[in-house]
Amino acid sequence: MIYTNIALGTASRTGQTLAGIMAWMIEFLTVNSKPILQVLVLPGLAFTLVFALVAVWFERKFLARAMLRVGPYYCGGRAGVLQVFADFIKLFLKEMIIPDSVNWLFFALMPIMVSFVPGLALILIPFDANWVLWDIGSLGLPMFLAIMGIAPLMPIFAGWVSNNKYSFIGAWRVAYMYISGEIPIVICAAAVAIMAGSFNLVKIVEAQSNMIFAIPQFIGFIVFFIGVLIESERTPFDLPVAETELVFGWRTEFSGILFGFTMMAEYVMLQAWSLLFITLYLGGYSGPIIMGNVIGSHIFWLLAKFCAVVVFVILLRCVFPRPRMDQMLKIGWSYLTPLALLNLFIVLGLKMWGVF
Amino acid sequence: MPEPKIESEIMRISWGPQHPMSGQTRILLDTDGEKVHKIIADIGYTHRGIEKVLENRTLIGGIIPIERMNMVDSSNIGIGYVTACDKTYGLEVPERAQWIRSLICEMGRINSHLYAFGLQAEATAYFPAVFLWTTIDREVLLDLFEELTGARWSYNHFLPGGVFKDFPEGFEAKILEAVQYLRRRFKDYWNAMIENPMFEMRCDNVAILEPKDAIRLGATGPVLRGSGIPIDMRKEEPYAAYNSLDWEVITEDACDIMARTKVRFHEIGQSLNMMEQIAKEIPEGETRARFSPFSRAPEGEHITRVENSRGEMSIHMWTDGTTNPYRVKIMPPSLRNMYVFERLAELSEIVVADIPVVVNSIDPWYLDSDR
Amino acid sequence: MSWIIKLLKPIAIVAPYVLRNSQTVAYPTERLIFKDRYRGRHQFFFERCINCSICARVCHSKTITMVEVEGKEKTFPQIDYNTCSFCGYCVEFCPKQALEFTDVIEMAVSDRSELVYSPEQLSIVPKIKDLVPRMKRRVESYLTDKEMKYRKVKDV
Repeated sequence: MIYTNIALGTASRTGQTLAGIMAWMIEFLTVNSKPILQVLVLPGLAFTLVFALVAVWFERKFLARAMLRVGPYYCGGRAGVLQVFADFIKLFLKEMIIPDSVNWLFFALMPIMVSFVPGLALILIPFDANWVLWDIGSLGLPMFLAIMGIAPLMPIFAGWVSNNKYSFIGAWRVAYMYISGEIPIVICAAAVAIMAGSFNLVKIVEAQSNMIFAIPQFIGFIVFFIGVLIESERTPFDLPVAETELVFGWRTEFSGILFGFTMMAEYVMLQAWSLLFITLYLGGYSGPIIMGNVIGSHIFWLLAKFCAVVVFVILLRCVFPRPRMDQMLKIGWSYLTPLALLNLFIVLGLKMWGVF
Repeated sequence: MPEPKIESEIMRISWGPQHPMSGQTRILLDTDGEKVHKIIADIGYTHRGIEKVLENRTLIGGIIPIERMNMVDSSNIGIGYVTACDKTYGLEVPERAQWIRSLICEMGRINSHLYAFGLQAEATAYFPAVFLWTTIDREVLLDLFEELTGARWSYNHFLPGGVFKDFPEGFEAKILEAVQYLRRRFKDYWNAMIENPMFEMRCDNVAILEPKDAIRLGATGPVLRGSGIPIDMRKEEPYAAYNSLDWEVITEDACDIMARTKVRFHEIGQSLNMMEQIAKEIPEGETRARFSPFSRAPEGEHITRVENSRGEMSIHMWTDGTTNPYRVKIMPPSLRNMYVFERLAELSEIVVADIPVVVNSIDPWYLDSDR
Repeated sequence: MSWIIKLLKPIAIVAPYVLRNSQTVAYPTERLIFKDRYRGRHQFFFERCINCSICARVCHSKTITMVEVEGKEKTFPQIDYNTCSFCGYCVEFCPKQALEFTDVIEMAVSDRSELVYSPEQLSIVPKIKDLVPRMKRRVESYLTDKEMKYRKVKDV
């Protein structure tokens, strides 16, 4: 502010603009840079990209161990750490084949949107007590669910614009699957909000300082977890991309870096949903609870829980085969939705009789 | 192939040679999104003209191309041809050679059923756990083959009149060790795969083949035995040493995919029992009857039927007094089962998502159905 | 509640596999020791051959032809590995065992005519270390209680 006053005192045009720019830069470096840094690094763009790369490497190594073989072995030492970078660079250098009869703008746009729209939802998660990028207050949980509700539209459009029979069937499967997975999730999230007393994600985390919500809402815990698997299209529920039946579902026609984006979509969705899962049921960024008190709240605990959840999800890929479409709908509508409603009634009961 | 008529909802998908799971064939599906109305199998992609090739080779040289018809299970095809040669030349095979022939056939059968198991697991997207385990367990069998015959597939160990070579030193102990190891591994397969609730969800009551339909359409092998009919060529027309060994024919009554998978699973158990019996009780003796590779084959016509791991295989041989046969006609089991597969769309409800699981339960091997 | 146990049982069976050894032979750093009877490339012994050409007559794919060799009087077998199927009849039916199998399998060339091995080339068998320069160990397989593993037999 001192500099602007001095500049205005000189009363020369260029002097004024220069001083204005300098003032803005100094103010940016001291006060405003923290949010930009947060958006770019953690929890923002760099976190998403690094997670996608590390998760791909870890999944390849982990699955290889379960199959009794080594994963990437030569590129980058024995552990093959540079393999993922090599694949990523290779995808950039490959030719992007766009079929003749499609709308090329949508065709090129869909994979980019399908992998970055779910990443938007990350700005709502509290990473620490005062580390929320967009502190929207009591609209946190509904906003998250609204952003993730747009997510199924992208694979449907991507399958539709490809002008291919296999992609078309894949797009329909996406529609069926997301419908049956979305409703149990929303009911369970509503039950959590009732128990915590507010929609604010920070307040939900703080309401778990006595006991994490996974214990009284055990049924909701399991239903939400299965819902997370359905929504992020992870095996055993990766029907839209059933490789053995429909070449590659809605991702069939994409090649080059567009293919890389569609592969990344799976991990970005998994990241967003599992962070919400940890915030709602496992206590978010708070540390372990010993004798009714929380020991230390730090972003480290959030990342540790996140790693545990992702490892378990990857382990489930090795264990279960994939159900059929009608069996998947039966699971979603006849098992998950009634269990979610049962969970809601249990929470209402506990709240009415003043236990929580 | 005629296109479907005006019903515009039905589209024809080519589950074709460029597909991660189709094998070397093309299957045309008339479907309206999920339900399959008609299946047309378009085979012939791997036709090599083996029957014509066999006319230009001597009888003994013909064993080699015919074993290339099937890689995982080549001994069960070679034994059909060699038994036909034995009948043509009128040779008496010594007993020890018959037992060694049975051993190689049973090891080939285990090999093939393990591979079919792995493909079935891959079809239901379960490949991380089971498909590679079966590949690694087959390594144990391939090591045994390498020690006995010198090659890991297409062994060429049969000769008219016996087998090429005897057991090396200490081979019986190695067979017993491998049998114990495989029996321990099968507990894991049973618990992780067949008792897996989601695998049961995929495989129970899907693609049911009634016994009367199975007989009418000419099914063979585990497809027939999975519908409850106990026909096995090793008991109907015994060859090699199957009369002296103690084993049973496995049938299941449920007629669906799970029944066929269980038939293959229990057949592996029976083969392991037979291997153990052979390793412990094999009689002493010679392994080869007197035979010259350049002799002329007497005139005649012989039919042999053997039990391949996929079903019944028959070889019909005409010889006319020269060193080369006049004509060899092979009837493979996979061709008969592909016909059954085409009719399954009319007999029971199949959706597009079921197609890989159904195909792998029929277990065709396109190299031997195309010859 | 039995279905919960049924769902959790496969997880309990598959999860310990992550901690086991991998069963990969890291070729070319390691190479398997093949068994005695393994059918690899042939080896020819000049002094044992009596020029009867049984090997050429019994070969089913007409791979072996008898050719002249400089400095020697008789004709000797030449094997064309483009069409050889490694069946073993020439080794078995030779009356003097002039042809034997070795365990050399690294025969990759850039031109098909180099795969026709003359009798002099057949009589020389290079060492494995010269063919696979990056090799450091020879391994072989053995069976334990739960798995098949590879163990190092010797360093090279």
